[in-house]
Amino acid sequence: MMDAGRHPLIKLMSYSEIEDVNGYVGNFKVTVRKKARYVDETVCNSCGECEKVCPAIHPDEFQMGLATRKAVHLPFPQAVPSAYLINMENCLGTNPIACGKCAEVCEKNAINYDMQDEIVVLDIGAIVVATGIDVYDPTQQDEYGYTRFQNVITSMEFERLICAGGPTVGHLVRPGDHTTPLRIGFIQCVGSRSLRDGAGFCSNICCMNTVKDTLLIRDHYPDAECSVFYIDIRAFGKGFEDLYDKSREAGVKYIRGIPGEITEDPATGNLRMVVENTTTRSIEEHEFDMIVLSVGVRPRADGGDIRRHLTLSQTSDGFLMEAHPKLKPVDAPTRGVYIAGCAEAPKDVKESVTQASAAAARAGVLLNAGKVTVEAITCTIDNDLCHGCGACEKVCPYGAITVDKGAKTAAVVEAACAGCGTCGSACRFDAITMRHFTDAQIVAQVDALLAERQSGKVIVFACNWCSYAGGDTAGTSRMLYPASNRLIRTMCSGRISEEFVLRAFRKGAPIVLVSGCHFADCHYIDANRQTVKRVYRLWKQLEKLGIRTERLQLEWISAAEGPKFQKTMREMEELRAQVTQEEIDHTVKVLTEQFEKRRLKKVRS
Amino acid sequence: MKEKKRVRISHDFREQLGLVLEGDGVNYCYQCGACVGDCPTARFSEDFNPRTIMQSVLYGLKEEIASDTLPVWMCSNCFTCFDRCPQEVKPIEVIIALKNLMASEGIVPKGVEAAAAGILKTGRSAIVSNTTVRRREELGLPPLEELDAGELRTLLDADANGEGEK
Repeated sequence: MMDAGRHPLIKLMSYSEIEDVNGYVGNFKVTVRKKARYVDETVCNSCGECEKVCPAIHPDEFQMGLATRKAVHLPFPQAVPSAYLINMENCLGTNPIACGKCAEVCEKNAINYDMQDEIVVLDIGAIVVATGIDVYDPTQQDEYGYTRFQNVITSMEFERLICAGGPTVGHLVRPGDHTTPLRIGFIQCVGSRSLRDGAGFCSNICCMNTVKDTLLIRDHYPDAECSVFYIDIRAFGKGFEDLYDKSREAGVKYIRGIPGEITEDPATGNLRMVVENTTTRSIEEHEFDMIVLSVGVRPRADGGDIRRHLTLSQTSDGFLMEAHPKLKPVDAPTRGVYIAGCAEAPKDVKESVTQASAAAARAGVLLNAGKVTVEAITCTIDNDLCHGCGACEKVCPYGAITVDKGAKTAAVVEAACAGCGTCGSACRFDAITMRHFTDAQIVAQVDALLAERQSGKVIVFACNWCSYAGGDTAGTSRMLYPASNRLIRTMCSGRISEEFVLRAFRKGAPIVLVSGCHFADCHYIDANRQTVKRVYRLWKQLEKLGIRTERLQLEWISAAEGPKFQKTMREMEELRAQVTQEEIDHTVKVLTEQFEKRRLKKVRS
Repeated sequence: MKEKKRVRISHDFREQLGLVLEGDGVNYCYQCGACVGDCPTARFSEDFNPRTIMQSVLYGLKEEIASDTLPVWMCSNCFTCFDRCPQEVKPIEVIIALKNLMASEGIVPKGVEAAAAGILKTGRSAIVSNTTVRRREELGLPPLEELDAGELRTLLDADANGEGEK
């Protein structure tokens, strides 16, 4: 951090927030709010005189509340820039009559109570998101009594206690009575691998952190006994198994089993619990001086802000989604944005550094090239037809379209457009042409497929990345499915406009299936949410016209789900067999009438 | 020499159980033992262990559980395992489902059977003996009233016919 702070070409803005991000790859405009520190960082030499006289005492966030800090403080010893700041919520008052002691003692006159937040607008070419994680708060897992018993602490608090820069200068004491604990228990997977807490994922770092902690304890206090209660010790990285071996060699007991309720002996402050040792099937009672809850991690609670600014999406566990889990692991779906560290998934220091290096290199490739090659599949807007209604701007997952409501025009930034085509199906005035997937091309496919033997066919609209690929998987895996289906490929299910579906029904299709990626799997961030909206609108419309809504189906099939594709196709065939010729004729008649009526209305206006 | 116990796996045990059990939580059990630590029955009896019951279900060891002498009938229905389980396996619900499954196959301990019969007949799970009546008199407690078992029966029949949910 110090090196980054000193580097002539790196501009480090700590204590700042992203307010807004506009623009697109290579041309981002980022608005940053530099929060007022109330201490001029260019003048402050962190002599610490101000802190000595400050009367406002508060829990120190960096020390996990185990020590105190003043209202004017250095966030932590290695903070960059090495300058003090005043937390105005803690400060007694900016009026010198109220306090003003720090300003009095500061020889450099660095303290300025009138400092305001500063808004900085930066021109940025590429963005790396490395916003990190939150730590799980074990308060809600009440059986461990984290809030009731002083000697139950989290692994983060333990870290401060054993750290030479911590509140106890590295002397391990238990919070209850400040004695050195000689029997220490660790409980693993607190808040990890827990569907109960809505986090089924493994937090990745806690096992090795505990192994390291036990070694530290055995190293500093050879008399201290450590027991670790675990479900699985996941020592999967380089050198990890060695460390685990060392810990066991050092005499640390590893007991496979998650304990029940922790109770406290009020006289001694010692903690008791009952656990089943699942390897021996025996019920064991344990007593400890201190228990460390090895807490897991969570996606950042305020992660929504950065996702909104950069149009990023998240996976079902709440971490940021990469453009491709295997082939583009550090690219965000938005071009020119990269992801590093725990913002993407829980990971340790080494993995974070690896990913950050990769992200920096990816950004370097982009910036050094000076230009980007864009797939030719983008949209174009015909401003003679555009009414400036803004429907396209609303549905674009990438914010690539800007509408000028006054001039009744819209413009697309092709470098930001990813080519999903959702805008094309949202446009009511045919002003948007999706290259390679134009209305005319798709309509021609529908017409050709339904030129003859309509009643024997199922029209399937499939998105390129998931459903069509799912069909490929079914095919390459030799999975038989009925031959009645006719696939029409689009880049995204968001491209499928209501008119395409209605046209298929008008041409005599018995069943139409709209299929795309699962939610949170969409290759165009969330374009398939528009698909759902459209299908619901269609269902309503069909119902009104007295057409069975079952004839329009919606299904999510991923690229790996060959069997699901097969199953879906079989179901479609079953549904198709139930549709009678009379029903088809009726639908064709009703929909053609409706189409003609609409056309005449359009011509008249 | 004691004969080595052989294990027979019932491959459709989970499917059978699936017919009487809501949800598929049992598949997610990773045998952490969180259900055992606070289980009051497991603390006092080596024969009862919710974790191993889940294990037997997962492995299809029907014979291990499907016995009229053994484990599932010892559960005290306290729902602590339901609270503790990190994977939402809901062991108690699996155990209740196991009891129902076994009862439908006629594998019920005599005591339970008697209690069930007692409920149907008198509306009470325990038999009111002469000693009970005398003790109540001695303690100055009011005599036990006769219960209308017919009413209970109607309710149970309605539930069995699926009318109870209306």
